[in-house]
Amino acid sequence: PRLSFSTKPMTLTPPEESEVVATVMKWKTVTAIFLLVVLYLVMGAAVFRSLEQPHESEQRLAILSQKLQFLSRHSCVNQSQLEELVKQVVSAIRSGVNPAGTMTNNSSLWDLSSAFFFAGTVITTIGFGNISPHTEGGRIFCIVYALLGIPLFGFLLAGVGDQLGTIFGKGIDKVEKMFISQTKIWVISTLLFVLFGCLLFVALPAAIFKHIEGWSALESLYFVVITLTTIGFGDFVAGGSDIEYMDYYKPVVWFWILVGLAYFAAILSMIGDWLKVISKRTKEEVGEIRAHAAEWTANVSAEFKETRRRVSIEIHDKFQRAASIKRKLSSELGFSPAPEVTLPKRVVSVNFNNERDKNEKEAGLHGLTPSAINGALVLNGPDLERGEISIIEHLK
Amino acid sequence: MALVGRSWLLLVGFILFYVIYLLFGALIFSTIERPMEDKLRHDMEVLKKEFLNQSCVSAASLENFLFKVLAANKYGVFLIRNASATSNWDLASSMFFANTLVTTVGYGQSTPLSDTGKAFSIFYALLGVPFTMLVLTACVQRLLYPLVLAPVSLLQRSGLEPRPATAVHFVLLLFLVVLCFFVVPAAIFTKLEESWSFLDGVYFCFISLCTIGLGDFVPGMQPEQKYRTLYLGAVMVYLFLGLMMMYLLLRTFHKMSDVHGLTTMLQLPRCEDSDPDEDREPIVDHGESPQRQTEKGASNHLEPGSQVSYNTINRG
Repeated sequence: PRLSFSTKPMTLTPPEESEVVATVMKWKTVTAIFLLVVLYLVMGAAVFRSLEQPHESEQRLAILSQKLQFLSRHSCVNQSQLEELVKQVVSAIRSGVNPAGTMTNNSSLWDLSSAFFFAGTVITTIGFGNISPHTEGGRIFCIVYALLGIPLFGFLLAGVGDQLGTIFGKGIDKVEKMFISQTKIWVISTLLFVLFGCLLFVALPAAIFKHIEGWSALESLYFVVITLTTIGFGDFVAGGSDIEYMDYYKPVVWFWILVGLAYFAAILSMIGDWLKVISKRTKEEVGEIRAHAAEWTANVSAEFKETRRRVSIEIHDKFQRAASIKRKLSSELGFSPAPEVTLPKRVVSVNFNNERDKNEKEAGLHGLTPSAINGALVLNGPDLERGEISIIEHLK
Repeated sequence: MALVGRSWLLLVGFILFYVIYLLFGALIFSTIERPMEDKLRHDMEVLKKEFLNQSCVSAASLENFLFKVLAANKYGVFLIRNASATSNWDLASSMFFANTLVTTVGYGQSTPLSDTGKAFSIFYALLGVPFTMLVLTACVQRLLYPLVLAPVSLLQRSGLEPRPATAVHFVLLLFLVVLCFFVVPAAIFTKLEESWSFLDGVYFCFISLCTIGLGDFVPGMQPEQKYRTLYLGAVMVYLFLGLMMMYLLLRTFHKMSDVHGLTTMLQLPRCEDSDPDEDREPIVDHGESPQRQTEKGASNHLEPGSQVSYNTINRG
């Protein structure tokens, strides 16, 4: 679906209101997701810290003790000399030159095959970093090179992914003939995809790396995942150690990266789809719960309002009657009507089921004596505007 | 049939062209970097010789020592810093690490040492990467209207044809992004980091925002960095915003090439907006999505070809 530029230009006015509404709703979702991501990051940080810090302190102590040992054993070297040497060595390492080791091996980090590999890591955005350009010209060229190369690789990956998908789809066709149900096919095809792909692109290469590079099983798996998600730390690099590699090793690794990336892209987008579905379902459920809650609250408040309305009318009637009775009494007895005493208010929830109480109260009013006015049930007129009734009850 | 044949041909052509591009890059890198490397090597030899000459250290024990130092260095444990220096795994740095993990930048200046850490990274990444991409896509989706569609329609209403309008807008957007996300941050980094030149700053910004993340430059790694937590937090925000803008740029470029008919010519997947959810109401008038040859919905989720480019594959 392309933007309908050719047919009609986007007019801002008609869809504006609906858009504003839609935008408001959508921003809520975005903020929710964003908060989730931040939470995820914080959680990850806490876990990493608790896992790694002890190790790091261990390493630190170890290297410090090494240094002290060295200094004590070789007394003609002083601390500053040593530190200077180490500094130089470290920066050389960063530039890819490893002085610890025989300097006679002539393999450069920038011979054609390694440079090819480096170019590959730049384009795929993996970016191991065990090799990196150190000249200004190299860096500028790297920028320009990546600018052109990354989209190029993107298209390539799309194409490879397409082909993978078609091959896979043809396989599904054959499976389809055996089953009838659609959902079964989908589930089975997903499982097959994941399993087969994991075997071909993850397990097998990991085993090969373990054998050739001498890493542990976990380290090989770690390398595979970190590379194929294009994170590319560079702590483990296939073809980066000082081992004698076979000639076709690096190109094969590179080809594996290409296809593996397509596979991982599909896997990651699948996980993304699942996350979307989960979030949608959660939203639906939350929406349902909220709808129910809203309904329930609406019902309850409607009932409550209705009841309050009735009560206020009844009380108003009673008040009128009580007032008229009092007037009659006082006129019979010859008193002037005493001022109404308003007791401090206390809102009471009245139990309207008890008709007897009301009658009693009414009866009590009949037997009024002026001094018992304080003990009388003084009703404030219902405030119909506010819908509130304050019923004052003073117990005798 | 001819269509299938053509698509295969195109793919093969692409691969070939890609390999040539890589070879070309390799050649250039080689010629630029190799002399510098040789010089450095030579310097190191001289240094070692000097050191060994004037001291009682034997070559073997020096090698041994250096080996250990470098092994520690690889994991970010530096000999030169004081023992009381900031850890690589305090909360701020760990969060920074987690951030580089889920955005797939992956500098590598500090990497998990323990086995458990490595195993955890695997799972964390497998979940976190698509998650981040979802968030980025969602954000870009919302930004698309104010930053792309509204200005383009504005340009159109002031008389431009659709094609030049999109081109002009793209150039403007590009210029703005370069200014705000490359030039200005690079200048800031040059101020804050002692050893970085302006070019280094631009290089760092570029390498990070393309998620290459070589790791030769990482901010906040100086031993006496003030306000380190704040600094790292700001860098994380910058990375996130920058990634969003890069993705937006890519999207805009893709849409523009759609309008200009480039994508159909090269038989590349067209730029699709994601399927309209309740939550993502289509802002733009969508035509019918082109029916592609999908196997009866079975592999719909899995078809990698349903994603646009590499960047959109990863980013949902």
